[in-house]
Amino acid sequence: MAEHPGVATACAAMLRRDLTLAWRRRGDIAMPVLYALIVTMLFPFALGPEDTLLQRIAGGVILVTVLLAMLLALDAMFSSDIEDGSLEQLVLAPQPLALLLGMKILAHWITTALPLIVIAPLMAAMLHLPGAVIPVLLLALLLATPLLSLLGAVLVALTAGTRRSGMLLALMLLPLCVPAVIFAAGAVAAAQQGLPWLAPIAWLAASLALAVVLAPLACAAALRIALDA
Amino acid sequence: MTAASTTVPLLQARALSFHRQDEPVFAPLDFQLHAGELALVEGDNGSGKTTLLRMLAGLLHRGGGELLWRGEALQRDQCAGQILFLGHQLGLKADLSPRENLRIAAGLHGTREGLGMASVLADVGLRGYEDEPVRRLSAGQKKRAALARLVLLPATLWLLDEPYANLDRIGIALVNHLLEKHTAAGGAAMVTSHGTVSFHGGEPRRIRMHG
Repeated sequence: MAEHPGVATACAAMLRRDLTLAWRRRGDIAMPVLYALIVTMLFPFALGPEDTLLQRIAGGVILVTVLLAMLLALDAMFSSDIEDGSLEQLVLAPQPLALLLGMKILAHWITTALPLIVIAPLMAAMLHLPGAVIPVLLLALLLATPLLSLLGAVLVALTAGTRRSGMLLALMLLPLCVPAVIFAAGAVAAAQQGLPWLAPIAWLAASLALAVVLAPLACAAALRIALDA
Repeated sequence: MTAASTTVPLLQARALSFHRQDEPVFAPLDFQLHAGELALVEGDNGSGKTTLLRMLAGLLHRGGGELLWRGEALQRDQCAGQILFLGHQLGLKADLSPRENLRIAAGLHGTREGLGMASVLADVGLRGYEDEPVRRLSAGQKKRAALARLVLLPATLWLLDEPYANLDRIGIALVNHLLEKHTAAGGAAMVTSHGTVSFHGGEPRRIRMHG
């Protein structure tokens, strides 16, 4: 009996596949980035260029903007794989489905959230966030965005196959994001006031650790059910 | 073990059934498939051919009855990778080339010994199209790219849903040739078709579906 390739080979193949696919459609990667920049730009126009006001809301605005920008790209996470039958092939592969989906989520995070984190300092500058706070902001984003990707992936898997899932997805995901937003924005606010900010960051990290383990399993179960209909 | 494997069927179904909203999709089925055999699943539109194949592949849950794999109750973990399914959706990424699509499949399943991607793609008639994005291929060429996956991956049982659709006469001959080679090497295949199909390699077993 032929030996199947190891889990590491399979994961590498999966990650490479999704990154190649994203690169072939790199125009799509730019969309959330442009969206986030434009939304951030609107705030000084709407509220006036008053330093103290912008500084106070900067952390929250950036977090919410990043969250909404990620939401734009979220419902595409499994849809093309369901349409062209690739998901069936993944389910039938002699590899743990949860791990393969974990790789898909990782690729999705790299292609949607990472560009947003890269431009976060620019968004912070637009809102006059003090430079000293930016490392905390980036740390909060680095922990909060994968959490959102993982939570989002579970919901995308649950709504897979339903029509008009985009709006439903937003309605389901946004309430679930509240804790992540509170902790991430809390850390930034604490850093701005010179208070210790490690506790909310630790909470974020703990939730992320939990989600990394559980979300791919939930995704796999949900997608199996979606196919079994 | 070798003596047993010649007599124990690769796949055996006893009173296999499937229900959708309490309505039976097809009448309870009994059949067995030995290594080296080909089974033709026949039936009209809507008689449940695709449902049967999806269930055997493990995409649908088993409705009722028993399924035995090499004489023992079929468990997905044990036969993972040994059963390949090719449905109406071919499972190819349109933005990737046939070669890249094959590379992914090989990364997940491994490959048959002594087979290279280039030679497999040439065998299915895609020489010169290896690096063309699948979206630019014709429907028949896409089908051929999906068939290349069957050839390359190490699997025992092929479940092919309408493999002849979209193929020209040479393509149909190719499918028959691949099926012959696969069964001659000890593999087995189940093929659905509502047209009449002629195989060169002896009379296939026929499974008749009634809606």
